[in-house]
Amino acid sequence: MKKEVLLSANQPELGSALRKAASMTSADVAFEVRNAKLQGRGGAGFPAGVKWVLAGGASGAQKYVVCNADEGEPGTFKDRILIEKYADRLLEGMAIAGYAIGADTGLIYLRAEYPYLVPVIEEAASRLRQAGLLGRGIMGGKFSFDVEIRKGAGAYVCGEETALLESMEGRRGEPRNKPPYPVNSGFRGCPTIINNVETFIAVPHIILNGADWFLALGEGGDSGTKLFSISGDVERPGVYELAMGSKIGDLLDLAGAVDVQAVQVGGASGKTIPGSDRDRVLSFRDLPPGGSVIVFDGSRDMLGVLENFMEFFVHESCGQCTPCREGNSRLLDAVHAIRAGSLSGREALAPYLDLAETMKQGSKCGFGQTSSNCFVDIVNRFVLKADGQGGN
Amino acid sequence: MSGRPVSQIIEEGAARYGRNQEAVLRILTDVDRELGSVSEEAMAAIAKCCRVSSAEVQSVATFYSFISTKPRGRHLVRLCRTISCSMKGSAGILAALEKDLGIAAGQTTPDGRITLETTSCIGLCDQSPAMLVDDTPHSRLTPEMACEIVRGLK
Repeated sequence: MKKEVLLSANQPELGSALRKAASMTSADVAFEVRNAKLQGRGGAGFPAGVKWVLAGGASGAQKYVVCNADEGEPGTFKDRILIEKYADRLLEGMAIAGYAIGADTGLIYLRAEYPYLVPVIEEAASRLRQAGLLGRGIMGGKFSFDVEIRKGAGAYVCGEETALLESMEGRRGEPRNKPPYPVNSGFRGCPTIINNVETFIAVPHIILNGADWFLALGEGGDSGTKLFSISGDVERPGVYELAMGSKIGDLLDLAGAVDVQAVQVGGASGKTIPGSDRDRVLSFRDLPPGGSVIVFDGSRDMLGVLENFMEFFVHESCGQCTPCREGNSRLLDAVHAIRAGSLSGREALAPYLDLAETMKQGSKCGFGQTSSNCFVDIVNRFVLKADGQGGN
Repeated sequence: MSGRPVSQIIEEGAARYGRNQEAVLRILTDVDRELGSVSEEAMAAIAKCCRVSSAEVQSVATFYSFISTKPRGRHLVRLCRTISCSMKGSAGILAALEKDLGIAAGQTTPDGRITLETTSCIGLCDQSPAMLVDDTPHSRLTPEMACEIVRGLK
């Protein structure tokens, strides 16, 4: 069901949430976010409040708040729209996070593809500084917090939080081994929380209205609302805010999707479902919603779609671990072979589906663990089905 | 592109970011944005300035798609080739631009005016097909519009 909070026309007064947070203890602010069950809006779904509580309790005089504004998942543009319209709210959410974990520095890692958003963020930061909501001695108190922008340089994998940290430290964006987790050893080895743009923007609303209010926004046990960027074969592409736990069919109707052959939820690394599955749920319980929803109508060649995605993954793999580096290339080879007619049928494709599973199990980070999803889904549900060997 | 000597850009970056590993990517980005690419000599100078090996600087520079170690033209056209743009005809736009400019993707016009590249998703999927020209996004393109925009670049 459509439910606008982050995108609501009635926005709370800027600074009111930060003022309320500053009247609470740091720990209580982190607990409030944890109790709201705010799951990471970048798509991984890790509870943001748990990161806050852990980083707040971690030892270290210097701590960091990092905003992951590196949305690179094909089909995702919600964070661009959020920054264009709600950069003030983003900075307020980051300042609240700084207060909660005891950090005086926030960094926004902005993807290189969004250079035109740099002045938007800088102007918002100036406004907040003038209003006494950023800088030294915020609202006349002891709490100081300020932000700076770090620009990415064109690498999808840097959306993975430890690759992002490597990149901010001036190195190749290759994911780190975990543990240690960033909440203990993150940017410059200090306790660090890394949250998505949408996650931070939800925070002021949670602080003002309370965790119970946020929990009640969701459907079927989910909490809050979620933004979806919808594109492809729809009449009204754009960003829509729905209750978390809404049915995919509701979103398709809002965007004006007709003759839907397939829907991909969560981008190239997400899940691809037949258009008839309208009751599937946009939730970390079913279809993990990063933000991207791409619709393919009956005229689309799904093998061509898969080829486009596998080319993307081959180009973007950081190359550090073998399952991801080699696996994605082999799956792209398989797509070419299917296209050429030299590879067909469940038996011949079985080794590639095994390889997809190996990548899922054996890759170092979320990239390789999810990049074979589209291969498995599209081969099983569309390619083999067309062969009369319909999969699950 | 500015005509400033690379040493000046590096020094200015070092003064702002420091002389360490963390400054490497930031200085590389500054040099690339101002000069269109990062030469071997520039990478060696950044290494010296940041007190890391030149192999390290090269490894960072070649990791990122937006940094080029090959000279590029005065303007950089990056056409999105990912799915939502591809579904709305990015291939036709690429063909038109290649024909109009007389170069293939990844190449620079002989007069050094334009470098044409394709890129992964640039987050303009609601307005596809789209491209970035230097720092400016252009969306809902047709082949004619794209050629018109690129012809207007000096």
